[in-house]
Amino acid sequence: MLKKRLIPKLLIQHRQIGSMIRPVLVTTRKFDQSFDVGDPVSQAKIYQAQMADELIVLNIDRTPIGSDVLLLGLIERLASETFMPLAVGGGVRSVEDFGRLLDHGADKVVINSIAADNPDIIDTAASQFGAQCVVVSIDYRRHVDGTPRVYTDRASHRTQRSVVEWAHEAAQRGAGEIVLVDADRDGTGRGLDCTLCAEVAHSLPIPVILSGGCGIASHFSDGILDGGAEAIAAGTFFAFRDQNPIQTRSHVRNSGIDIRVET
Amino acid sequence: MTVVGIIDYRAGNIRSIRNAFEHIGCETSLVTDAAQLDGVSHVVLPGVGAFAFCMQRLSESGMLPALEQWALVKHRPLLGICVGMQLMARCGLELGGHEGLNWMGGKVLPLIANGARVRVPHVGWNDVMFDEPFGTFAAGDKADFYFDHSFAFFDPEFGETIGRCTHGQDFAAVVRRGNVVAAQFHPEKSQDAGIRFLQGFLAL
Repeated sequence: MLKKRLIPKLLIQHRQIGSMIRPVLVTTRKFDQSFDVGDPVSQAKIYQAQMADELIVLNIDRTPIGSDVLLLGLIERLASETFMPLAVGGGVRSVEDFGRLLDHGADKVVINSIAADNPDIIDTAASQFGAQCVVVSIDYRRHVDGTPRVYTDRASHRTQRSVVEWAHEAAQRGAGEIVLVDADRDGTGRGLDCTLCAEVAHSLPIPVILSGGCGIASHFSDGILDGGAEAIAAGTFFAFRDQNPIQTRSHVRNSGIDIRVET
Repeated sequence: MTVVGIIDYRAGNIRSIRNAFEHIGCETSLVTDAAQLDGVSHVVLPGVGAFAFCMQRLSESGMLPALEQWALVKHRPLLGICVGMQLMARCGLELGGHEGLNWMGGKVLPLIANGARVRVPHVGWNDVMFDEPFGTFAAGDKADFYFDHSFAFFDPEFGETIGRCTHGQDFAAVVRRGNVVAAQFHPEKSQDAGIRFLQGFLAL
């Protein structure tokens, strides 16, 4: 049977260290404040040893990733030093960027703002690289009245799109997976938005990855059991807490969820 | 001397495959021309993207006659991965019907989604049941491998299914015809089980 997945999320920003600019691993809170964690490759190797099922790597500097030699070099190192699937995104600007990222070792490409601005990119990328390669990430915030609305540009720009409708459109156009991120829960540890995830997941044929708000191990099992998510992604939780994917994994398994127990 | 030649026809995630074999400790080389097969002991045929796109790229590469010699006449070891496996079918029904290499017979059909229980694409770790031994996997063994696909291989005619997987329906996860082996999953992304599988291939 297909296993549910736990996915550490590596958020990357450029930092000036001495005279050098280097990509570093950070975590964010509500998509705003960011905190440095350390070296992305070392952390990825730790996650691999802790049986992470996959990695999501996102450039959050809003710089174009396809021409960023530092980021492409980082992807290359991640791909050569770990043997697990890599979904990479943040600053994807064109279908050509898919080719560049795959050439540097990515297995899937995550798109967000570019897809919301120009949805045709989903169709084009899916026909060229296959649906399994196209991951559409949707950031949203709930309005005062509770209605979730799609945001773009690192959740700074509000659009008129409804999350459920946009997820459906993306799937219809050929997306292979949807990532749902509640920007207001990001980094807060107060739990995942299972309600909206359930609404999206129950009406979609493709897998949904839920993210934003993991603070304790039971949030992961909630997201899968109540939210209907195929996978849970978390950044802050794995980077800072005294928790790791192995401990989280045993909790999730003890909740009766089928996940991988040996490599 | 083990040298793994990876067929580079610009339709596959070659870097990861190369990294995995180098991690095991063998030499790899990229093969873009039939003449480069001379210095190679094992061949890998990768493939990512649509069936027709990969088939066309492979035909245009000019390497097909040499690969057929390698696999079907000389019976030397060759491993197909993902769409590289699917190309070995008689035909593929992705974006219309297309002829495949027909090394294994059989056909490539879309997986059928079924509500929340069976989502397509089939993404993630799933059990492979080995019906026949392969490398250090014994018949009856079960191991998790990483899959990422919407189409699957059914009913090989010339080869046999040595590993099965279920996602709504049973499909061929590993097919084998002599020294030609093909896997739907990505051994290069499957951590320890993947490395064991690649070692099984290198033992051919």
